Amino acid sequence: MRFELDEYAYLDSPLHRWEPRFKLIGLLVLIFAFAFVKDLRLVPVVLAIAATLYSLSRMPLSFLISRLRYPGFFLLGVILLLPFLSGETVIWQCGVLTLRQEGILAMLLVVGRFLAIMTTALILMGTTPFLTTVKTMRSLGLPSLIADMTLLTYRYLYDIAANLSTMQQAMQLRGFGASDQKKRLPFMPDLRELGLLASLAGTLFVRSYEQSERIYKAMRLRGYGSEKFKVRPVHAGSPPSSADLRTWSGAGLVCTLLVATSLVVAEIL
Amino acid sequence: MHIPDGILPASVCIAGYAIAAPFAWYSLRQINRLKDPTEELPKASLLTAAFFIASSINIPVPPSSVHLVLNGLLGSVLGYFAFPAILVGLFFQAIMFGHGGLTTLGVDAVMMGVPALVAHHIFRVRHAFRQKLGEKLATNIFAFLAGALGLGLSAVIFFFLVITNIPSGFDAQTEQAAVYGLTLAHLPLMLIEGTFTLLLVAFLQRVKPELIERRG
Repeated sequence: MRFELDEYAYLDSPLHRWEPRFKLIGLLVLIFAFAFVKDLRLVPVVLAIAATLYSLSRMPLSFLISRLRYPGFFLLGVILLLPFLSGETVIWQCGVLTLRQEGILAMLLVVGRFLAIMTTALILMGTTPFLTTVKTMRSLGLPSLIADMTLLTYRYLYDIAANLSTMQQAMQLRGFGASDQKKRLPFMPDLRELGLLASLAGTLFVRSYEQSERIYKAMRLRGYGSEKFKVRPVHAGSPPSSADLRTWSGAGLVCTLLVATSLVVAEIL
Repeated sequence: MHIPDGILPASVCIAGYAIAAPFAWYSLRQINRLKDPTEELPKASLLTAAFFIASSINIPVPPSSVHLVLNGLLGSVLGYFAFPAILVGLFFQAIMFGHGGLTTLGVDAVMMGVPALVAHHIFRVRHAFRQKLGEKLATNIFAFLAGALGLGLSAVIFFFLVITNIPSGFDAQTEQAAVYGLTLAHLPLMLIEGTFTLLLVAFLQRVKPELIERRG
């Protein structure tokens, strides 16, 4: 499990310097415009846009590939059967295996959209420090409760993951999982084993719950939730001024919005 | 069980957000009615993180192993906090592992969150059967149902969305049969998820009863 979200968030590139609010709005609109594409002829265009943005971000290609690998396999699992089952135009046949044209085209469309959206989402999240992203979403109307929950969850995710792996190691050292799997009935989980794993998850919840009580006291002592001081862990960032709109950041936003609109118009026409 | 980016057309993604919004709004309204919502916030956040991590536990089912979804359990323990918790959890899964996606966040939140809220209400029904069945049996039965139906409902929504939206060219009858078939194939997983929820709730009731009595 790799949790470092901010690995490449501090590089210097036009995308890193882009004002976070403009970047969030611009790239999200672009992502939805990519999802709008149904015409196969537009797939190379959206892939080219995503590739250009990624090269502008100066993040290494290995980062993109490592992030695409797992969801890529999952996606293939969902759509791999399409070329064999869907459509009427047979283009290749060998015994019971039949490749159909419509299925292949549908698969290319889904894979193209997926690559373009995933790459752009990675640029959006990878070029902004996570705290800045949450502050930006907060200033764009995300409820404070969800923003606070996001940051607290993020903060303790690492702790709890470490906690679980320590407990799992302790279970293994005491002999859990050493029984011979081959002697057991296939497709039947062992009830005793299930009970032990439920206790493992339960212990994780109890520990987290008790820790949260201590955290809440510490937060209160620092003034969290106080009406007088209005202390909140997540402040909404200041709204963009009209001067921001005349800078490169503003130009970037206008450009992405134009590209997104042209994609949607091209799709409709 | 998440729908990745790219599969669903933009209209379905936007509809997902539009359906998720009122559920999020209603959940936040119920939370704000609590005596002190800020006190509950760290508890809900750390439990969200713990659920997120616990769903990575491998359950050995020879010859392979399965992961649990735990949305039924999440609803039972967190109550109305379950919907924002699922939004936050899905957001992290999307940006950390690319599991799910930003365009499908709304759809995925409906798919996981609405069954979690249903599970919350199923789990509450146990209070009505306390006298008749006894405290322990009633809790066990409704914990099992909450866990199993939480996953089952999510599976139905997942297969319905994927099969009706993949540009497959199948006719309506084949699609319907596929949805039924794939959901039936999930019955054993529902049994495992329900049993796990039952065992976990029984554990919490022995060790830290306030964890399940707070919201449920």
